[in-house]
Amino acid sequence: MIHLKSNAPPALELHNLTVMYDSKPVLWNVDYEVPSKKLVGIVGPNGSGKTTMLKSIMGLLSPSSGYVKIFDQDLAQVRDRVAYVPQRGSVDWDFPINVFDTVLMGRFKRNRLFQRSSREDKEIAMECLKKVQMEKFVKRQISQLSGGQQQRVFIARALAQQADLYLMDEPFAGVDAATESAILDILQDMQAAGKTIIVVHHDLQTVAQYFNWLVMLNTRLIASGPVEQVFVPDILEQTYGGNMSILSQVMELVHKQAHPVRERRNR
Amino acid sequence: MEQLIDFLLFRDPNVRWVVLGVSMMCASSAIVGTFTFLRKRALIGDAISHAILPGICLAFLLTQQKASWILLIGAFISGWLGLQSIDTITRRTKLKADAALGIVLSTFYGFGIVLLTMIQNTGNAAQSGLDKFLFGKAAALVQEDVITFSVFSILLILIVGLFFSAFRMIIFDRDHAQTLGLPIRKLELLLSTLTVFAVAIGIQAVGVVLMAALLITPAAAARYWTHNLYLMLILATAFAVFSGILGTFVSYTFPHMPTGPWIVAVLSVVALLSIAFGRQKGVWMAMRLQRRNRTKMLLENILKCMYHLGEKQGDFNQVYSFKALQAHRFIEDQQLKKGVRMLVHKGWIESLKEGIRFKEEGLREGKRIVRIHRLWELYLTQHMNLPPDHVHEDAEAIEHIITPELERELERQLQHPTIDPHNSVIPR
Repeated sequence: MIHLKSNAPPALELHNLTVMYDSKPVLWNVDYEVPSKKLVGIVGPNGSGKTTMLKSIMGLLSPSSGYVKIFDQDLAQVRDRVAYVPQRGSVDWDFPINVFDTVLMGRFKRNRLFQRSSREDKEIAMECLKKVQMEKFVKRQISQLSGGQQQRVFIARALAQQADLYLMDEPFAGVDAATESAILDILQDMQAAGKTIIVVHHDLQTVAQYFNWLVMLNTRLIASGPVEQVFVPDILEQTYGGNMSILSQVMELVHKQAHPVRERRNR
Repeated sequence: MEQLIDFLLFRDPNVRWVVLGVSMMCASSAIVGTFTFLRKRALIGDAISHAILPGICLAFLLTQQKASWILLIGAFISGWLGLQSIDTITRRTKLKADAALGIVLSTFYGFGIVLLTMIQNTGNAAQSGLDKFLFGKAAALVQEDVITFSVFSILLILIVGLFFSAFRMIIFDRDHAQTLGLPIRKLELLLSTLTVFAVAIGIQAVGVVLMAALLITPAAAARYWTHNLYLMLILATAFAVFSGILGTFVSYTFPHMPTGPWIVAVLSVVALLSIAFGRQKGVWMAMRLQRRNRTKMLLENILKCMYHLGEKQGDFNQVYSFKALQAHRFIEDQQLKKGVRMLVHKGWIESLKEGIRFKEEGLREGKRIVRIHRLWELYLTQHMNLPPDHVHEDAEAIEHIITPELERELERQLQHPTIDPHNSVIPR
């Protein structure tokens, strides 16, 4: 495991994070740090807990044990500095709303539930739409967008949050090559502007080219660190190879008997 | 006729109150119902309305009064309990939402019917009319009821207006709204509570059994006309109020007619018309689009056919008889006549005694179709690795939908080819 020695707090720290779903461990003792200002790829086979991990970091799922620190603080204290881009397929694109109003959602603040969006909010939303080259589609209903355009709208909504840490779930899934390179440009610009971007990615072909930091995951953490150290045959074999029979058997047992993964502590 | 005029002019002061009351009830149901509809929880309204019956009966049993606000409180409490039971069952057990819904609906409703029967058998004179809750009797509303319901309806609409953006966010993308720190649980609870309230109010108009229709149908009908949520809310309200007033009129004119079923019947007609003729995804629009596609293909096929013949003879100024055209590509007589008529009308070809001949516009169009056809064939062989004898069928369909921008892009990617896979010249 590579630990950081610099003084700046890591953008993200997971400490022994274990997440159960329906009494089955989906993430087990995942523990790593991500330095800030990196473009980070999260890579692992299907069902290896990538989405679960993002959702746990964003507080959408509560871990059975362990914790998450963002810029060395709890999520509640740094909510405004983190933005999340869910999987495109997770929402109903037939919902009656237009592109601009969708992006404007990124400007919504929990302490101004009733306030109308200010002129500044609207300007920021428009700026973000320009960054993803969707300014021509401002009034378009989201149901009339192509997959790539939908993805850009989602990214624009996250940009409108003006965060420092971005978590994106498969932003490259199901988009055409032109959109993919446009999105990559945006991510690289964001990194150059000092943001940290964590991206769930499934295409091994492009990993080395896209990212400068990697987290390899298969229920447990396989490795994390700079791409050139982590993206090597040995670690790839561990991530994708089937050599985890004992672990999966124990997981199966835990699931069947609804067994806790931590002993209850006596108070 | 006279009755209609009487009704419309509000000559009977009672009618004024009834129309106002029904309009308010229908409007609040439609507005809250639009959000229920978008949450894809259409059936929840049905469960709540059935769960409300025991509340109404208990409220009456405890107070021996029929004042609408007392019954409303009883209705609200039991409706809310019903809703919470569904949520608890879904969250705590292995049962899915549909099963939970069925269980709660039938249990509460059964209990309600038992209470209702008990009340009716007590011989208490005050109870008469309580059974109207099953099918609604808006025409019997009196001033006090109307004031109570109107106040609650306005309150409902105001709250929805206040939380509009927040509701829209949690319905569209719950996860994202939660990451922004919105109090998801509280907002959802509020939305559910509003739904229970809307149902408790609306039940007075249409009754327990048909309440779900008043909640959901206006939104479903409105969805066929617009993609815009504001417009959808306005339309849904208009549909509901219109149906409410019409249903009340029938019930007023023929005193034996129940209000609820008539309101719902009118609403159903509105919904059917919307499904058939709605601008967004309506059946009629879909058919019209299909017809337009077929016509376009017919016209383009005739032009293409003329172009092929001209190509063969090296002269595009020839006159072709229908026979000659049909020999090259079979098009039914009637279709061919219809297509030629339309092309002549457009000024693309001219019709002479011996047959038809290209005009400038038509020749350009015919050439364009043939060019796209051949470009597409080439594209399929080069970029999708299909053998040349497998590409014609595909190109026959695709040639009709390629836009000028795509055509330029095709040419660019194929590096401005001159010959198609069958060694025909690609005209330009």
